[in-house]
Amino acid sequence: MYTLGIDVGSASSKAVILEDGKRVAASAVIQSGTGTSGPGRVMELVFDGLDISQKDMDYIVATGYGRFAVPFANKQMSEITCHAKGIHHLIPNARTIIDIGGQDAKAIRLDHKGNILKFVMNDKCAAGTGRFLDVMSRVLEIGLQEMGDAHFKADCPANVSSTCTVFAESEVISQLSKGVSKENIAAGVHRSIASKACSLVYRVGMEEKVVMCGGVAQDKGVVDAIEQELKKKILVADNPQTTGALGAALIAFELAGKSS
Amino acid sequence: MSRTAAEIIKEFREIAAHPEKAIANHKRETGKGAVGIMPVYCPEEIVHASGYLPIGMWGAQKKTISKARTYLPPFACSIMQSVMELQLEGVYDELSAVIFSVPCDTLKCMSQKWHGKAPAIVFAHPQNRKNARKVADAYCREEYAIVKEKLEDILGVTITNSAIKESIAVYNENRAACRRFSDIVADYPGNICPSDRHAVLKSRWFMEKSKHTALLNELMAAIESEPKKKFTGKKVVVSGIMLEPYEVLDIFEENGLAIVADDLAQETRNFRQDVGNDEDALLALAKAWNDFDGCSLATDAAKPKGRILIDAVRKYDADAVIVCMMKFCDPEEFDYPILLQEFEEAGVRNLQIEIDQESTAFEQIKTRIQTFAEIL
Repeated sequence: MYTLGIDVGSASSKAVILEDGKRVAASAVIQSGTGTSGPGRVMELVFDGLDISQKDMDYIVATGYGRFAVPFANKQMSEITCHAKGIHHLIPNARTIIDIGGQDAKAIRLDHKGNILKFVMNDKCAAGTGRFLDVMSRVLEIGLQEMGDAHFKADCPANVSSTCTVFAESEVISQLSKGVSKENIAAGVHRSIASKACSLVYRVGMEEKVVMCGGVAQDKGVVDAIEQELKKKILVADNPQTTGALGAALIAFELAGKSS
Repeated sequence: MSRTAAEIIKEFREIAAHPEKAIANHKRETGKGAVGIMPVYCPEEIVHASGYLPIGMWGAQKKTISKARTYLPPFACSIMQSVMELQLEGVYDELSAVIFSVPCDTLKCMSQKWHGKAPAIVFAHPQNRKNARKVADAYCREEYAIVKEKLEDILGVTITNSAIKESIAVYNENRAACRRFSDIVADYPGNICPSDRHAVLKSRWFMEKSKHTALLNELMAAIESEPKKKFTGKKVVVSGIMLEPYEVLDIFEENGLAIVADDLAQETRNFRQDVGNDEDALLALAKAWNDFDGCSLATDAAKPKGRILIDAVRKYDADAVIVCMMKFCDPEEFDYPILLQEFEEAGVRNLQIEIDQESTAFEQIKTRIQTFAEIL
């Protein structure tokens, strides 16, 4: 049995195909989200090189910000439920999840069975999300992939105090004009994201193991800043950008079993 | 032939959406106009006794805020942003007067920045109402007496004690009907969706109360005469200042959540308790305010709101509480951590969503509510 999970976020589209609810047959990521060609392209990419197609999928679950814009999905589930499912599958002893995506940040508490006990989301504001990181990397002229390396070269991280992305951008430009190094500003940006994410963790109540997922988890500077703030080791899920799609595919497998 | 519940609800929805028609109808029928009632907790009975139509001023849904930015900081709550925008557009100009209570800093400042043509009448509720009760009753009565005198001056009418007593009786009858309606909705969650429930209770702000009671009685009889539809979703109690726009209520329905009780300043908090029958009608109204419990805007160090909500969850066998936090409402924000702790201790599942009247995008709320419904 094949099931598919598609996670259409604000900034990227992800898909995972599962065989019999266990083996990942394929996964794909396109860095374009809802309202773009991203969802269509990720569906093409995930089947690329496989001898199966969309019509061979027994059940499809869509998740993410654009989950209701996936007409071929059998069901839509929230990304919080899907990330929790995916993380519990990968790391069964995970109890706290920090998921930072393109425009949302969430902290999720799980019990030992992977059930969601509590969750909190960021307010309707881009601060502390992938969009914030994206804006800052452009201002700093440092590629998103290089932000982590810059972080570890900092000797005196700058203070990026503003809670608003637009104000923070001005603050970073001001720091640059004062001659503060890009590395120190990058580390300040990571600290700013960490402080927002950790405020969610404090609200939801932290229990180890703490696991991070979502696209921002690929920035090791953010992970380091969160570890410093929480004073805890953070595990980063394998392929952190696709844990929501994996969870969706797992839920699709369960629902396919029920519907048959 | 008697009307169906759906037909009567359609009428309620129409009234809730068009308060200007209610004012025009009242003028045509009585020759008297309307008095604006700013949120929250105005002794409306005094206005009702004057023969003028008390009309709630709860802003507007999905209104773009532009002119109001000249006069209000961005962190004023969205009801006040919306009310300011509407008054600058002249929407309230046909009101004969506007009454402001000032239980929070924003209302206090708003009352001093009124830009409408209608004169504003401002009064203050007593703060030490629970620990200095007799003084608080006397103070509140005097404030209400000032409101009455100012109304008499502005409207050119005399408002007698017996007229206020009659209005209190009309309002108590309406409160009882609203409480019964809320209980019927809890009993028929498959028949009455959250947005219908809201429209019925919201229309109360735009109707002469005996008319609202009559229409509500017709609706309740219709609901009870119709087959009870199966409901397989979850039951929730909602709390906050208000729960709008309608899109948010639709998200509740889409995710199988029925509202079986509310603790909203726009809804149940206005009819949870009756006003007493003291000979001095103004004193009766004052006592009712000082008895009133469970709103962050009504000073009470005992903070009984959590207990009220937990009791409602148990009474209505609800699955959870959803706190609808009005964006930038300081009093509600300050009380939230207390509520959260009480919910945790009582084992009550809970969720917070943010209410912003101006909002036109609801994806975040959709994600929160869908996730919550998935885990309940």
